[in-house]
Amino acid sequence: MLLGSGLKNVYSMEGGIRAWKGMVAHGLPEAGMAYFSPAANAEEVVGLAWALEEGSGLFYQGLSKHFSSDAEAQKMFSWLVTAEKNHEKHLLETYETLVGARPDFEKLRVKFSDKLSGTVMEGGILVEEALAWVKDKGVSEGLEVAIALEVNAYDLYVKMSRAIDDKQAREIFETLAEEEQVHLEKLSGLLDKRA
Amino acid sequence: MGVMDYFTSVPSMTADEAKKFLAEKKPDEYNLIDVRQPGEYEGDHIPGANLIPMSELKSRLQEIDPDKPTVVY
Repeated sequence: MLLGSGLKNVYSMEGGIRAWKGMVAHGLPEAGMAYFSPAANAEEVVGLAWALEEGSGLFYQGLSKHFSSDAEAQKMFSWLVTAEKNHEKHLLETYETLVGARPDFEKLRVKFSDKLSGTVMEGGILVEEALAWVKDKGVSEGLEVAIALEVNAYDLYVKMSRAIDDKQAREIFETLAEEEQVHLEKLSGLLDKRA
Repeated sequence: MGVMDYFTSVPSMTADEAKKFLAEKKPDEYNLIDVRQPGEYEGDHIPGANLIPMSELKSRLQEIDPDKPTVVY
């Protein structure tokens, strides 16, 4: 069907998902995407993404504290706290470059305060729930949760970059996806080392 | 689309080739389509894949950019 539909270079992946040895994301297409409307403008997208990054930062802060006796893991999670902060900063800079002004966060806070305010992180996961789960777990599980979070965030940002109408907002999602990939590489590197 | 299109097989790539292909490109340079059912997609899917179940493919073809290479699984 796909060949006769005008699509160029169509490839079927042999063995499907069972043959896939890379990372996988979970959840239905609506998961996480519900926070973003396809008609959202750059300001809304930045505001929401910023709030989700804030939640991720709090999660990594919690992990960093929880694994404080493991120097290497503690260093990794602290790095992620900083990375999320830089991510937020980068998000603001991207917005300013694209739109020529700073987003009105107070306005956005009021608009989305019931959903966000640091309670939800990237991938649409609740910060408290994730931290409660990790409480009696080891470093590998902590890294696995962090990887799952980052994979889902990457998944969300890529899909949003395709679904969003606004060109500027699309570029923001593309940047976010690229940055999530860097986080993923670092986390996977440490998990491989520990395995 | 002619009747013969139903009998022509789509070129394939192995999972390793697909992984390399996706890693070398930016997400906006390809289409990645999961044609399974929503429940299967929910369980696990390749990050960035768009869900278009096989049964909906014909009616949702406009969601796929025809100018970009497309990987389906």
